[in-house]
This record gives sequence, structure tokens and C-alpha cells, in this order.
Amino acid sequence: MRLYVSFLIAGLVALAVVLLGLWWAPFVIGLVFGAQERRGRVAVPAGAAIGLVSWLVPLAVAHERYGLGPTAQSLAAIMGFGHEGAIPVVLTLLVGTLLGLTGAWLASAGRALIPAPR
Amino acid sequence: MLYAAFLPAGPLPALGPAFNPTTGAWTMAADAQVTDRMLHLVGLQQPVSVTLEANGTAHIAAQTDHDLFLATGYVHARFRLFQMDLMRRQGEGRLSEVFGKAALDTDRFELRLGLLRTAQVEWGQLPAGDPTRDALLAYAQGVNDRIAEAESIHQLGAMFTLVGYQPKPWTPIDTLVIKGDMTQTLSFDDTPILVALINKSLGADLTSEWFPVLPPNRQSPYDPGPYPKAAIAPIQTMRTVTDAEAQSAEAAYQAIASLPAGLLRTEGASNNWAVAPSKSASGGALLAGDPHLDLTLPSIWFQLSQDSPGFHVAGVSIPGTPGVLLGHNQHIAWSLTDAMNQQTFFYAEKEDKAHPNQYFWNGAWQTYRSVSYDIPVAGAATEHLIVTLSVHGPVISDRGVTTSLWWGGNLPSQDLTVLMHINQASSWQEFRDALRGWHSPTHNFVYADDRGNIGLISAGYFPQVAKGQPWLPLPGTGESDVTGTIPFDYIPQVYDPASGILWSANQWQVTPAYPYYLGTANFYDPGYRANEIHRVLSGPGKLSAADMMSLQTDTRDFLASEIVPVLLQSLSTEKLSPTESAARDLLAGWDYRMDTSSAAASVWWTFWQSYISETFDPWWKSRSVKVKRQDVERMLGQDLETWTLTDPANRAFSAPGVGSRGAADAQRTAFHRAIAGLGKTLGSNPRSWTWGRIHTRELTNLALITSLNYGPRAERGDGNTPLAAGGAISTSGPSWRMVVDWGSATFQGVYPGGQSENPASSWYVNRVDTWWDGRLDPMLSAAQAASARGAVSWSLAP
Repeated sequence: MRLYVSFLIAGLVALAVVLLGLWWAPFVIGLVFGAQERRGRVAVPAGAAIGLVSWLVPLAVAHERYGLGPTAQSLAAIMGFGHEGAIPVVLTLLVGTLLGLTGAWLASAGRALIPAPR
Repeated sequence: MLYAAFLPAGPLPALGPAFNPTTGAWTMAADAQVTDRMLHLVGLQQPVSVTLEANGTAHIAAQTDHDLFLATGYVHARFRLFQMDLMRRQGEGRLSEVFGKAALDTDRFELRLGLLRTAQVEWGQLPAGDPTRDALLAYAQGVNDRIAEAESIHQLGAMFTLVGYQPKPWTPIDTLVIKGDMTQTLSFDDTPILVALINKSLGADLTSEWFPVLPPNRQSPYDPGPYPKAAIAPIQTMRTVTDAEAQSAEAAYQAIASLPAGLLRTEGASNNWAVAPSKSASGGALLAGDPHLDLTLPSIWFQLSQDSPGFHVAGVSIPGTPGVLLGHNQHIAWSLTDAMNQQTFFYAEKEDKAHPNQYFWNGAWQTYRSVSYDIPVAGAATEHLIVTLSVHGPVISDRGVTTSLWWGGNLPSQDLTVLMHINQASSWQEFRDALRGWHSPTHNFVYADDRGNIGLISAGYFPQVAKGQPWLPLPGTGESDVTGTIPFDYIPQVYDPASGILWSANQWQVTPAYPYYLGTANFYDPGYRANEIHRVLSGPGKLSAADMMSLQTDTRDFLASEIVPVLLQSLSTEKLSPTESAARDLLAGWDYRMDTSSAAASVWWTFWQSYISETFDPWWKSRSVKVKRQDVERMLGQDLETWTLTDPANRAFSAPGVGSRGAADAQRTAFHRAIAGLGKTLGSNPRSWTWGRIHTRELTNLALITSLNYGPRAERGDGNTPLAAGGAISTSGPSWRMVVDWGSATFQGVYPGGQSENPASSWYVNRVDTWWDGRLDPMLSAAQAASARGAVSWSLAP
């Protein structure tokens, strides 16, 4: 139960900070979450989920308000992918996901380096 | 992963900020939405209303002139900030700062040329309280208000986010630099360098014949004279170019050739004309104008109307500048074309090892001045550039002989002051008086007013040198300096002609009897568009606004109408294959219109290219000419036209290695080759060789993102037709079309593209179809726009 609450709080905090424009929030929150959660196999996927959600929700809100189709196509064109609008969407969510994942993984890896108390 | 998220890598931006869903590139979706708004702008004195039509045209109504220009700056920046930033960076030599080493050549060139230095001088010449100075300051404030707003709501254009930089505050000098960009595009010309190189290869004799001072063909000057008497200097024959001059010219030619397209004038192509009430179906004066420029997305133009106590004007403006350049007010309408006269002169400086860093001028050794610039380069060390200046201007080559450059665009010119006076003029007298201060670039300004008067005047500097051959690099020792310009009252101009028509399309404005030097024939357009426009306007019957629109999209090739009958005659005794016979029959039944469905158009165009190649390529090859033939093709085509019609035995047809022959022989060979080439690429049936299969048009994205281009799409017209569409893939042409009918008080216009630079906006390319079809949109007044369907209203408050 405590894990779920921690995950929920971490996700909400990451989302709130991203909404303020601080894109790197999933990394920091992932870092904190990974430092708190001793099981790496839990912390890393959770960090990834925190990153995904905190970048997905603002994107979904923007889509609801403005419609992101022409923007996605334009970004794809700028990036050299023709008008394949799905590519920038996937890339964006991937960046968010990997930010959270990297933070959690880094913290987990750091924890592993610290010897457990006897 | 963290590196890619936090830091840029080569051309890639840092992924984190770039794709940040709340402040990154995705905000272009919010930026694309334009809704009713109420906002506060720093610096406003009174409330201002802005109405945006459903197609994006902006109507700005202010209670003070200051607020009008401030709001114009805000509106421009709201829709075109990245374009404006690119344009100022180009002129100020600051592209490398954001685009890296790839832009260094352009930056070096611009800093040498001196747009920034000129803009700084122009700004310094404006005293406190000067209306232009106040307008520039207000405009800059408006742009900076938008920059501050965009930064605060994270809606800077996506390109800023993706390239990874923030725009610096706007200054009046930036506006003056953008004015300089346009001057450069329209008047900087490297013809003397090309002619020097050709002279060195072909010899003075042939060069003199092929690159004459006066146009060899029949043209339609709008000012037929008589001209006031003046001292006439004899036309001098071409002198021989020295080795050192040729070396220097080659270095300069290579440097200029490496620049991106659009930085200097390559060929002229703009139309304008006016019709007096005596020839007008509506009983009022008619005016039409379509300046031809590189067609970009976003366009160089932004359409708006401006209303304030001092201004009631509508038309198109250049983002980055505060006024309407082409348009109308309550009493007059105007448009312009490039006058094409020589405004660039090259000087070979005399130097001596005993006098290092000096040049000999006016009987004494002078020390070169120098100016230093630091060019920040993204991803590399800052480059230090020293620009050397003689009395003539910047040194552009020091190989062989040091060559400096005199360019009319480097003379301070308060064109914005002139423009504001034009915007406020209500008669020909006021319009003409305003143009006394217009210096560069020299333009053919066409005029029509609500009282039925029409006029055309080629306003600007027409530089005159004391002696020498200005079509080649001149000696820099003083005797060949530019000593002045043609006096304003003697420049080409006509007011209310008896014929009731006036027209310009970059052709010679005057007849050979004109007593002043304008430039050589290859500075000017060959005149086919002007001839066609004159042919249509001088026909019987009255003309309407619809006729003006039709003429703007006229696809009749005047050159073809002259040459095809001669070609058919040359082919009459020639044995032709069935395919060639079919192609000849197409030409025989052709109306000379370059329509996309016309197969004859393809045969004609391919033949003409082949005919030029057949005539000149052997010369180019045997004499190892270092200038690309294509760079002087307009002049060579003019020669070929003249010889074909009046001198078919000209020695040019008998190039080294091809033996003795005449025009008809060259035509037959060219025709065989053209048909063989078309058969190879388009199949064996000539009827299927439609023009639209080999001729397209493309609107190119300003940031060179090809996926954001429009087209290529099959297009009618060619480089000789009033609907200008030169080349196989045309990327330049009518950048704005306007038709004014004072009889019915109707104003119409359209440009290809849209008001917004944001590719996600519905205003990115929304005007293209209307433009492509040759239709125009009504230019509404602010009141009409406010009640039009789909209009959006902004209230700007102090």
C-alpha cells in the first residue's frame, strides 16, 4: 500500500512540476523514488511510469484544447520524417519515460553501491 | 540519455527542452490558435483595436500614430518573429551564431558588404523628434512587447525552441538592416565581374558585341521621351581586362557564387501598370502590380491595414518594418518594380609594396580603413573578421589586384521616411515629392489616384561615373569614381500620358535617345513581359479590373511569338521524323501560351534551351569561359533573339569546331536535339508532352525545411510570360498581386502563403490556392473586416 501511495504522490508531483515548465522533473522525482525504494526491479519501471505519465498528461491536455495533429505533422516535417505525426509524439513520450527511468535507475544503482548495514 | 536530454548534440537540440510538453515545440499548437483577446502592452498611449479577418489579414486602428506603429510591431512579431529574426541576422552577419559554421560565408559577406554599418549611420542621422525615428522606436517596442509576452507564456515560435536560442530585443537598427536586406536583393549585382571574366576568355571584341550597353532587341520603354538635353558622353568600346583583374574577378565571382540564393539580384521579374479613365471600363483609373521575388513560406509580405490620425493605408508590409510598402490609401494606390539600373561598381585599387596597407587615389596614397567584427559561431570558436575599406567601399577581393566595391545600397537612404510620406500622399505631386528622397534600390513606382491620374517614375539613384567603362572593374585611382546621379527631374518618368497606359516590367525605361548612362543591357530584363503587357494594354477596347487580373496571369510568351514562325520556316525544308513532324505541327497550331496542358509549350521551351546551348556552348568550351553560361543566359538569349530576327549570319553561329553556319542551321540542329531529349524523357507521343509535366513551381520554407515546402506542383507560364515562372522548377514569381479600380473603389490582392509562419497554423498556406488560380481577395477596410464572418478581435490596452 505504501508503495502505491509513494508512486501516486511521486507521479502527481512530477506532473505538477512539468506543468510548471520544468521538464526535467521526472528525472529528479525518479531519482528520489529510486532512492526510497530499495527494490530496483520495482523502482525502475515505476520511475519510467512516472516519467511517461508526467509528460503524457500535458500532451493530452494540449491535444484536447488545441488539437495536436497539425503540430505533430509539422514537427515530424522539421525533424525530417515527412509528415509522420506519430513520430514526434512517440519521441516525446519516450524522452519523458526515459527521464523518469534514468532517474530511478541511477538512484537504484547508487543504492546498490552502498553496503547494506549488518 | 541524460546528455541528449540536457545538451544539444550537433544539429540536434537538447531533447528535454525541445520536446517539453508544456514549454517546448508543442506550444506551436497553442500559438496556432487565434481568438478574441484583451491584452496590455507596455508603451501604448491609448487603446488600440486589431481585427483579424478569417484569412489572417490584420486591421490595426489606433488613436495615435505612435500606437499604430507599436501595434504593428506587436502584430508582426506575433505571427512572424522567427522570420524577422532570420532577416536581421542575415543582414547583420549573425546567422552563424545560431546555425554554426555553415552560415559563416554568408556572415562574412554581409559584414564586408556593410548593411549593418549603413543601418547604424542611417539611425544616427535621425534626430530626436523625427517622425521616422519615433515610428522605429514605437515599432521596436511593439516587437519587444511580443517577445516578452511569448517568453512569459512559453509561446516563442517552435523554431526558436528547436534551434535552441531566444531572440534578442528588437532595435530600430534591426528594422533598418531588414530594409537593407531588400535593397541588397534588388540592387546588388555582380555583372561587372562576370563581364570581366567573359572578356578575358572571349576577348573584348566578342564581349562588346554580346554584352552591349544598349539592348539589341526591340523593347517597350514606358518613357519614350523627348528627354531634356544634357551633356552626352560617347559610348566607349570594351577595353581588354588584365590578368590581375581577371584573377580578382574570379575570386569575387567564386565568393559570390557560394552564397545562398536570394542574397543578390539574379534576374528581374516584376510587373506593374496603370490605365487612365479614358481606357477604363469603370471610368476610373486602374492600377495593377505584382512584384516578383523568391516565393517563400512564410512570404516576405504581411497584409494589413493601418488607421490612425496620420495614416489610412492598406496593403502589404515587410515584417520587421513599420509601414505599408505596396498598397493604397484613401486617394492614391501604388506598386513598384525593380528599375534594374547599375548600382554596383567594382574598383581595382592601385597598390605598391613601398606603401603597405595603402592605395593610390586622387593623386595621393591613402590608408585603408578597417573595421573589426567578432562573429560568434555555434559549436565553434568565435571568428574574428577584419573588413578593409577604401574610399569606394569594402574590399571584396585581394587576389590578383585588390578590388573594392561601390554599391548604392551602402549610401544612407531614409527610405522609411519616404515610405511614410507615400503612405500619406493624396496626389501625384505629393507622391513624386516624397520620392525625391528615395535613393536605393531604384524602383519603377506606378501610381493611380481617385481623380483619374496615372503616373510612373523610376525613383532612386542612377549613379554616374566621371569616365571609364563601368561594366568592367574601374580603376580606383579617382578618375572613374561615381560623381553623382541623374538629377531627379531627368530620371525616367511619365504622368498622364496621352496613350492612357503606363507599364513596367524591368525593361529599359527609355529609348536609346536617353542621354544618361543607366547600365548595360544585361543589367535589364530582355523585355518580353513588358512587350506582352504593352501589347495587351494598347489593344482596342476598354479595360476592367478583371482584365488586369487576367493580364497578371497571362501565359503568352512574347519571345515564342517572335521566334516560332522563324523556326517553322527553317524547318520547312528539313527532313523530319514522324515524331519531329508531330512536334512541328504542334508549334504550327500554337497560340504561344505556356499552359500546363500545352504540349507545344514544352517543345518551344526545350527547343529554346537547346538553341542557346547549340549556339553558345561551343564558345564556352573552346574559350574556357569561367562564368557559367546560365549566369548570363538572359543576355545571351536576347542576343540570339536579335540575330535570329535580324542577323541570321552572325559569326556567333559559327563557333570554333562547328564550322560555318547560320541561324537556320543552328535552329535545325537544336530542334532535332530538343525532340530527341523530350522523346527520351516524356515518351514517343508529342501530344503527351504537356508543359505541366516538365514545369513546376515550389514555395520554399524559409528555414529550408523541405517537408514544409508547398509543391512542387505543375505550373503554367515561364520566365518570359507576365505570369513569371522561370526555370523547370520555379521558386520565384509574383509574390503579391494587387488590382485597384478607382472607378468602382475596389481593391483586391493576394500573396502566396499565409500570414503565420507557424506551420501548424491554418494561416500557413491558406492563400496559396486563391493565388495559384489567379484569383484575388478583396482588401477590406477595417470596418468591413470587423463585421466579416470569422473575424477575430484583439483589444490592446496601455
